[in-house]
Amino acid sequence: MYSADIRQPLVTGGKTYSDVTADICRPIENKPTNSWWLGFSIGVVLLLVLAGTLAWTVWEGIGTWNTNKSVMWGWDITNFVFWVGIGHAGTLISAVLLLFRQKWRMSINRSAEAMTIFAVFCAAIFPLFHMGRVWLGFWPLPLPNAFGSLWVNFNSPLLWDVFAISTYLSVSLVFWYLGLIPDIATVRDRATSKARKYWYGFFAMGWNGSAKSWGRYEVVALILAGISTPLVLSVHTIVSMDFATSVIPGWHTTIFPPYFVAGAIFSGFGMVLTLLLIARHVMNYQDYITTEHLEAMTKVILLTGSVVGLAYITEFVIAAYSGYEYEQYAFANRMFGPYAWAYWTMMFCNLMAPQVFWSKWARTTPWFIFVISIVVNIGMWFERFVIIVTSLHRDFLPSSWVMYHATWVEVGIFLGTFGLFFTCFFLFAKFLPVINMAEVKTIIKDKE
Amino acid sequence: MSSNNYWKGVEELDQTQEFVSSNANEFSEGLPLEQVFSNDDSTRANRRDFLKYFGFGLGAVSLAACNKAPIKKAIPYVEKPDNVTPGVPLYYASSSVSNTEGFPVLVKVREGRPIKFEPNKEATYFGGGLDGLGHSALLSLYDTNRLKGAMVAGKRKPIAWKDFDKEVVTALNKVKAAGKSIAIVTDGSTSLLSQQAIADFSATYNNTDVVAYDPISYSGITRANNTSFGRAIIPAYNFDKADVIVSFGADFLGTWISPIKFHSDYSKNRVPKNGKMSKHYQFESLMSLTGSNADVRVPMKMSNVGQHLVALYRELGGATPHKGMEVAGNNIKIAAEELKAAGNKGLVVCGSNNEADQLLVNAINMMLGGYGTTIDTTNYYMGQNADEAAFTSFLSKAKSGAYGAVITLGSNPVYSYSGTEDILAKIPVRISTSITMDETSSNATHIATDLHPLESWDIKQPYKGRFILAQPTISPVFEGRQASSSLAAWAGADVSEKNDLSHAYKYAKKVFSSAVGGDFNKALEMGVVEKTASPSVPSFNITGGKAADALATKKGAATELVLYQKVGVRDGAYGNTPWAHEMPDPVSKVTWDNYLTMSMPDAKANDLSTGDVVKITVPTGSIQIPVLIQPGQTKSTYGIALGYGRILPDDVKNDLKDLGQNAYPLVEMKGGFADYTIGDVKIEKVAGAPTYEFGITQTHYSIEGRDIIREATLDEYNIDPLAGSHVHKPKMISLWDDYDYSKGHHWAMAIDLNSCTGCSACIVSCSIENNVPIVGRDEVRRRREMHWLRIDRYYSFEAPAKKDLELSIVHGGDQTVEAGEQMTKEKVMEAYSNASEDESTAYDYYENVKVAHQPMMCQHCDNAPCETVCPVLATTHSSEGLNQMTYNRCIGTKYCGNNCPYKVRRFNWFRYNENEKFDYHFSNDLGKMVINPDVTVRSRGVMEKCSFCVQRIQSTKLTAKRENRKMNTDEFTTACAQTCPSNAIVFGDLNDKSSEIAQLYANDRSYHVLEELGVKPSVQYMTKIRNTKATSTKKAH
Repeated sequence: MYSADIRQPLVTGGKTYSDVTADICRPIENKPTNSWWLGFSIGVVLLLVLAGTLAWTVWEGIGTWNTNKSVMWGWDITNFVFWVGIGHAGTLISAVLLLFRQKWRMSINRSAEAMTIFAVFCAAIFPLFHMGRVWLGFWPLPLPNAFGSLWVNFNSPLLWDVFAISTYLSVSLVFWYLGLIPDIATVRDRATSKARKYWYGFFAMGWNGSAKSWGRYEVVALILAGISTPLVLSVHTIVSMDFATSVIPGWHTTIFPPYFVAGAIFSGFGMVLTLLLIARHVMNYQDYITTEHLEAMTKVILLTGSVVGLAYITEFVIAAYSGYEYEQYAFANRMFGPYAWAYWTMMFCNLMAPQVFWSKWARTTPWFIFVISIVVNIGMWFERFVIIVTSLHRDFLPSSWVMYHATWVEVGIFLGTFGLFFTCFFLFAKFLPVINMAEVKTIIKDKE
Repeated sequence: MSSNNYWKGVEELDQTQEFVSSNANEFSEGLPLEQVFSNDDSTRANRRDFLKYFGFGLGAVSLAACNKAPIKKAIPYVEKPDNVTPGVPLYYASSSVSNTEGFPVLVKVREGRPIKFEPNKEATYFGGGLDGLGHSALLSLYDTNRLKGAMVAGKRKPIAWKDFDKEVVTALNKVKAAGKSIAIVTDGSTSLLSQQAIADFSATYNNTDVVAYDPISYSGITRANNTSFGRAIIPAYNFDKADVIVSFGADFLGTWISPIKFHSDYSKNRVPKNGKMSKHYQFESLMSLTGSNADVRVPMKMSNVGQHLVALYRELGGATPHKGMEVAGNNIKIAAEELKAAGNKGLVVCGSNNEADQLLVNAINMMLGGYGTTIDTTNYYMGQNADEAAFTSFLSKAKSGAYGAVITLGSNPVYSYSGTEDILAKIPVRISTSITMDETSSNATHIATDLHPLESWDIKQPYKGRFILAQPTISPVFEGRQASSSLAAWAGADVSEKNDLSHAYKYAKKVFSSAVGGDFNKALEMGVVEKTASPSVPSFNITGGKAADALATKKGAATELVLYQKVGVRDGAYGNTPWAHEMPDPVSKVTWDNYLTMSMPDAKANDLSTGDVVKITVPTGSIQIPVLIQPGQTKSTYGIALGYGRILPDDVKNDLKDLGQNAYPLVEMKGGFADYTIGDVKIEKVAGAPTYEFGITQTHYSIEGRDIIREATLDEYNIDPLAGSHVHKPKMISLWDDYDYSKGHHWAMAIDLNSCTGCSACIVSCSIENNVPIVGRDEVRRRREMHWLRIDRYYSFEAPAKKDLELSIVHGGDQTVEAGEQMTKEKVMEAYSNASEDESTAYDYYENVKVAHQPMMCQHCDNAPCETVCPVLATTHSSEGLNQMTYNRCIGTKYCGNNCPYKVRRFNWFRYNENEKFDYHFSNDLGKMVINPDVTVRSRGVMEKCSFCVQRIQSTKLTAKRENRKMNTDEFTTACAQTCPSNAIVFGDLNDKSSEIAQLYANDRSYHVLEELGVKPSVQYMTKIRNTKATSTKKAH
């Protein structure tokens, strides 16, 4: 196939098909490296922190947090939205970019999807454990029951969340697994021990690599991509409705759905970059995850960051224009109130910092991208903090105005979710091919 | 014995040697003891032992399992007492327990347990309300620290009353024989039973001295009255008859003399009727509850009160020539004009405990002609008969060793009068009648443990000719004995119970027939008996001029410390009242602590901020205490609340262990008067002390210019009844269908901001009625108080001068503040201070504040934002307009709480019952007796909020249904409305067109808070009208 010289190759280093297989199966077939052990151990330690702080919360009550009579949601829901947001990049990369035939996605979609799933796991912890009675956490499910007319409230955005997130998680999981099947089969075929042969064989579901199999595989992938694409928009739209349908100034805003979706893609790409830059460095995958990939993703960051920034400004202008004193105060308070530091942190991280990606050097310098990706992650956490806490801490009646600072338990749970995330991610990197071998093989001679 | 002998075998018949020897053994084969006790495991347990081991094992396991098995019994009455039906409350007329003078109440009793005080509406003179402390003191009945019976020093266990009496009588006789005296120190109680018992006791022991002691003294008034017209009394003040009230530091709505009665009287004239309402001037140094309600509040130094009184006297036409008085502004002049116009409908009161001040107050009231109308000296107040002069002479006599015995009858001078402990220690026999181990009883040699007032008979006379009867509503919880019976027993009477009738009952009947007369049972039923005379005007023998001359040269101190009482715990007599401690102070909103109040300019000058710990030194002593900056406080004045720093028994729990600082040692004895205003204050920041964090329920004190509390002046209101409430709003469109309330009831509430004084009695009443947990100081710090009902308090500040302010664009940009304009926004105030060139006066406007109180509870919105967001339908709307909470269904997402615009929802962050950390009364068997059985005790992790007392609605409905009639909506009301001493809260059925609520809803002053949200609340507020000069004379269009 002809491709213009101006296009950069998608995979560098002149890899052959067998190189790809060897490179990508290496971490699975060899003993884990020291850096893997280090990362994994940190993950497990943080996971233990998560277990401990959650156990303490359930044992003592949510009183161990510092949420109070006015700010009833604090770090918990901030973290929830943060993690759900991070989960967005995976589906976007695998589904939307698949539909748009963006071939550069092929070497990053696997890990981005894995990240999505682990992020949704992390996110799910918060709405569950922020419940006063977590042991009744199944009540928001519309389960037929013997309690008479007991039913769920379909008016409640929290219920919509339950549906949106469970749908998202299940579709993402199926999509991810489907993509894994040919690669698992490759690992199965290369397996030298009985156990590996059995387990990879089990999960390969009898994949035989026939043309028929491939044909069906691609059709199903396309269908799932079609199903997933609206989910990219719907999940964060619905999450944003937790706020947008309320009456609280600073929450009650119609701009929230697109603003949240853009923010989610922004934060998702931030996190994908963070992870890929680490993986690329640790696993020596520079030839598969090239600076071209990094550059493409920084462009997405630049775009979505600017969309989010525009949303911030729009929000403020609308508030000023509304003539509604509560709304006006909510935004004045964000900028100049006691939490102004959080607001300006957000503004800097999300609106200003990504603007550096106008420069080609910034887009192609991995260490710099890494720094900015961290900044974006921080900024997006603060965005949710600003929306949730600064709106609640000073709403309508000044008598109920309060301040809110997290306790060590809340901080511990947040750090702990990183433990869960990284533990899962390192296990994934050890036991599954982090790059889609089958797909990458189709593009090693291809150009962008 | 039968002649037939049977034999088991031929061996027996033959009686062989072998048989005889083996027959002597019980078991023919011998016991396998060796096997059992040998170490050979194989033979240790054989087949035959299986049952033995099995049985033993089973028994042991069952025994072990019996340990701590939770056995809960619900035992029905074997013989049901008359009138007691499980689930149906009984009401007994009785007297409140928190104040010694007595206040009529109804005691709600469920299954033999008193669970709530409700006002006795028959006692119209007292107004039909209650205060926070009055409610809270109920818990003293169920206090696990109550003494269990008669105690003798050195023994931990109670001894039999018979032995105890013998010991006391021997000791008292020994005192008599030694020629020494016996002192009885009473608490100034108006109990006729105690008085009779003391009289009987004194008849036997004629060497008895009786001294009355009260922690708070009003002897300035009594002695001034003695000088003025020869009677050492405190008159009855009738605020309902006063059109103009001028108070100099008298917190008559909060703590002065008889505040609950004053509340109801005062509020009668506070709602404009026919274009008129009373006018209230308050001159004071600290911001009191009363001051916060005044139409005109003038900051003044309390040490300078004499000068103000002289000025007022002069303005009223008195003939004193003095000039150069230290009086700020011309408010005295305006007040004098209005008083003059009001004539005998003017009333001047003064909180100073100084005879000279009070003499001049008498002279002023005499000039106004208020005696006989606003001041009644005939049916005078009797709740205070203590005089510190008598007490100090008792102390000096005790010091000299004249007393052989002292009986402290319900009083606790060791706590509130410093130095008493050492002097009392000189008296060999010290008998206390306390019901807990308080400061005085822990120093006693004998404790004749009294019964709790709710277990006692009593007749009290708080006002001359007005009697209040108290009857037991529970049989004694512990082995106490009523103090009057103890005194009688020591005087030789037989006080044992006969025919199930206690000595106190017979005694009460006897006292009733001699002192009151009439039908005892009828009196018990009503709770009050009135035998008053028509008021007469006393003849005066003072001249105001002389009194004024005496004060004219008495200038105020440069700095002063004012010792005051907080509305919650008052004089501190009831230390163990967690409800009262958790009730936020109506002014400062601080719970659980006392503190040094100071003005903002002083704080800025000393570089102090709220929470800094300072050492305050006055000539009488010094204490370390955290600072609280109080808007409205006069510059150079400081305030500390009395009643804190109690030393409660060792086993009190949690925050009761740490109740602030005791300021009683700072009270100055000046010329025989306990002076609560002490000059010459030094403030020094304690180096290295960490900032103290108060448990404070409201930290933001400006209203931010929001349309939450609507206000107007009386003039504006007279021109236009819609004044202050006239807003242009767009027509609201609702996405929801309106509820149809045309059938059945439609519950609603109206709150008159004019009547509401912010006294907070409703908060405590609500908490008790609805089993609202007490969470303690630390949880309040974390902003998690559980009160279903709160009172929001906002300050607005008057700009002293015109200033151009620089504000950022988001705060409205540059603007000009005119002199006299009310500043209600935080940023405007900041900018105003910044615009002042002179640092020392930049915060002076903090002195001139206006205060507004607003009770806030669930608004029971028709379009409730909380209802739509609950994922599990735990909060729903009833067909009668109630917003209902289903605790069992709640999973605790807290979304409803976030989405509530009024922030009235409360979450159970912890398990507040059965939890040591929160054991105030919810976690011990005795304290749990006070729980209202009609209301669920909420579990951890669920949301709760005001229910409009749905249990009361329901029980009234059921009663009506049982009686086959329609329910009358005035049959009941909510706990808050019922308790309100100023009738500010009205609850009822809007569908009943004749009801008070329906009429109030039609009132022009009515409005909904945040009505622009379209949530359609069911609580309506009524515009606050201040009786001040009009700011606008135009009629709103």
